[in-house]
Amino acid sequence: MSFLTIEHLEKSFGPNKVVKDFNLNVEKGEFVSLLGPSGCGKTTVLRMVAGFEQPSSGRIGIDGQDVVRLRPNQRSIGMVFQAYALFPNLTVAQNVGFGLKVKGTPRNVIDARVAEMLSLIGLADLGSRYPFQLSGGQQQRVALARALAPSPQVLLLDEPLSALDAKIRLSLRNEIRAIQRKLGITTIFVTHDQEEALSMSDRVVVMHQGIADQVGTPFDIYNKPATRFVAGFVGTLNTLEADVLDPKTGHVRLPGGEARLGRPLPAGRITLAARPEMITLGAAGRDTSLAGHITEVDFLGSVIRIRADLGGQSLAFDTFNISHVSPPKVGEKVTLGLNAADLLVIGD
Amino acid sequence: MKRFLAALILLLGITYFVLPLIGMAEFSLSMRRGVYSLDAYRKVIADPQFRQTFGYSVVMALLTIVFGVLLVVPTAFWVRLRMPHLRPYVEFITLLPLVIPAIVVVFGYIRLYNTSSWLPLTGSTFGTNLLLMLGYATLSLPYMYRAVDTGLRTIDVATLTEAAQSLGAGWITILARVIMPNVLVAVLSGAFVTFAIVMGEFTMAALLNRPAFGPYLQLMGANKAYEPFALAVIAFIITWACMGLIQLVTRFSKHTKAAR
Amino acid sequence: MTAPTEARPSAGRRLPLTWLGILPFALFVGLFLFAPTLKIVIGAFQSQDGSFTLDNIFGLFTPSILSSYWISIKISFASALLGCLVGFLMAAAVVLGGLPGWIRSPLLTFSGVASNFAGVPLAFAFLATLGPLGLITVWLRTEFGINLRALGFNILSFWGLTITYLFFQIPLMILIITPALDGLKREWREAASVLGATGVQYWRMVALPILFPSILGTFALLFANAFGAVATAIALTGSSLNIVPIMLFAQIRGDVLGNPNLGYAMAFGMILVTGIANVIYIVLRMRSERWLK
Repeated sequence: MSFLTIEHLEKSFGPNKVVKDFNLNVEKGEFVSLLGPSGCGKTTVLRMVAGFEQPSSGRIGIDGQDVVRLRPNQRSIGMVFQAYALFPNLTVAQNVGFGLKVKGTPRNVIDARVAEMLSLIGLADLGSRYPFQLSGGQQQRVALARALAPSPQVLLLDEPLSALDAKIRLSLRNEIRAIQRKLGITTIFVTHDQEEALSMSDRVVVMHQGIADQVGTPFDIYNKPATRFVAGFVGTLNTLEADVLDPKTGHVRLPGGEARLGRPLPAGRITLAARPEMITLGAAGRDTSLAGHITEVDFLGSVIRIRADLGGQSLAFDTFNISHVSPPKVGEKVTLGLNAADLLVIGD
Repeated sequence: MKRFLAALILLLGITYFVLPLIGMAEFSLSMRRGVYSLDAYRKVIADPQFRQTFGYSVVMALLTIVFGVLLVVPTAFWVRLRMPHLRPYVEFITLLPLVIPAIVVVFGYIRLYNTSSWLPLTGSTFGTNLLLMLGYATLSLPYMYRAVDTGLRTIDVATLTEAAQSLGAGWITILARVIMPNVLVAVLSGAFVTFAIVMGEFTMAALLNRPAFGPYLQLMGANKAYEPFALAVIAFIITWACMGLIQLVTRFSKHTKAAR
Repeated sequence: MTAPTEARPSAGRRLPLTWLGILPFALFVGLFLFAPTLKIVIGAFQSQDGSFTLDNIFGLFTPSILSSYWISIKISFASALLGCLVGFLMAAAVVLGGLPGWIRSPLLTFSGVASNFAGVPLAFAFLATLGPLGLITVWLRTEFGINLRALGFNILSFWGLTITYLFFQIPLMILIITPALDGLKREWREAASVLGATGVQYWRMVALPILFPSILGTFALLFANAFGAVATAIALTGSSLNIVPIMLFAQIRGDVLGNPNLGYAMAFGMILVTGIANVIYIVLRMRSERWLK
């Protein structure tokens, strides 16, 4: 049985059902992200796990115990908030020791644990500072240490990086993941940033209008999106309308060429999708070639993003920058290559 | 449980505030034995002294408002525009009348501007009235300055001034035609507070011996049975009206801003 | 963005004229705020012939004047303390008590009115309620046979004045503390509760320490507010209660102390008490703003 189990969780605010039949099993030590646009219900799920919201129905179990009836302070949960939420009247050390102090832990035990936590986040010297004397990144690390100090069973991270600068966000992302691995703590991470979710998580839950559209590893989510929403929300995706010529063999006509997918397809018109990085300029070594002309060239440094027009449909793809090869020009006629196996059939 | 406790606290608090108002109103209506009547009010309104003192205070309040606006608006404007480094100091000074009790200030007036001083304001009726008006202006300074300064904060003083200057406007025109209309709501709220303060003020008027509404109230309280309560109700209604008008103009201004 | 700064140098060259803009204000506060106050302060250290002396200050340490200060301080302290407590509870009830949201706006408006409804009319309102023939006095006597007077209560007393002062003290507290209560972030409470704190622990270790500077600062303000209140006291008690403002009032009117310069010293004492209270208010206010930045 999984360590954290969420079964048939639902939540309504008045007439609005913001979470619908949400199910998730998280293994001990696993890092799971809830990814989705704002208003998709991911934060509400997190707040129900923390105990700030009462579910309308459903069950939340931690280590075999149903916690739905427990108050937040009885659940043994650590939480990091988007806006840090450090107590402004307490020093860094007092903030980190807060959870132990309210449990009546002896002073020397608290001090030792606080020192351990502060060195874990690399702020061992700042214990006597007040939160307003720290930078945003430092405050958020203190908030993490504070959440971890009482050794909670589950760690909840509510968009902990979105208030920070891009640079600090990146370094703190790695730091959080390293600490989580080191402690082996079961973690749920809420974010609207797909890059964060993909890079940090063991598994990702993509949420959309209160429903978990897909649960899977970052690799699966990206490469095998289960729904049109997941495909569109995670990463950049080209969609191409195609006519099925032979449903049995998966022979289709695309704008600018034909492809054999080698698997049965529904008859009629279907939507296929391809990630930009699966498409190459020139069809050498690829089983499918498409003809078109260039409409846009964006030089992004290491990568050049090109947009081509294939019989009225637009297709974006990337090529690596090679210093002695000049990029194609707008209007140039080109042949694009891809492997039919990389084409995704989009359902709904 | 929490909600019940909150409601209980609020209810008790409201009871404390409402009972004296009821008591006051009840007394003011019970001049005629056994029935409620407006006799006390009729008596009060028929009293020539009431009309004189009330009129005197209204005139003084209006003069104080005019003086306060003419003093505070240009100052606050100028400080924001040209001397922003002085802002904390000016703000501190305007709050001093809350620190120094009115009785001390007026005590200083009496000793400083008496008949034997270099500026014998208390020597003539006009001089004393002027001194009282200046005293009222001092009392209302914290409220007036705060209101106007808050109003100025919401507009971009520097840009508006430069725009007007580039169109050839002088300082008087800028203040009267550009700044004033934009802080009118703030000026009005300051004016209503000033009005309420002056109408109820007792200490300064009493010690400067001027026939204002406040000392008259006190005098009636010492000598009459029911009239003082009618007067207190009237004073309370004036305070309410002033605060209500502040709410009204503020809400009205929000409305017009939203429509823009 | 650069255009306005380019226009500035011309104003810089005319710097001496810039001061003209605040000259009227400087004249006004100089003549009608600072000069009178200074006159009092200096007078407190002068003898009748104008030479320096500390006699007036020593003169304050006579039993009658000392006791008037003591009563004033007691009344100011009690009304400030109760005002803070009740005002805090009422504000907390509205902000945190889960009551319907529409209550808030009328309460704040009423607080604005009540905090300005001081002076003579307020005294009358309380005479009509708790005075010898007041609404509650009579009601308690006829309905329950409770005689407030026999129980030692008198509107012209320490408690009478304190209860009356609360009418403007409580609203002032509500007006000042409501924004501070709004400043308590929901996340603090949530963070405390996931860390295992009970509601009581949250209030004791987080919320009250955060609010403490605001509360203590407002207390100082209310103290000064009550200490300087003249009109309510005079209208309520006439001259039967010996508090500082009433004594000073009588002294200004008719030199009841028989020494004009002793009046200066009394007034100076008032400035000192309210000044100290306000310095405490300002210092604590700055501290709480630093935290809540």
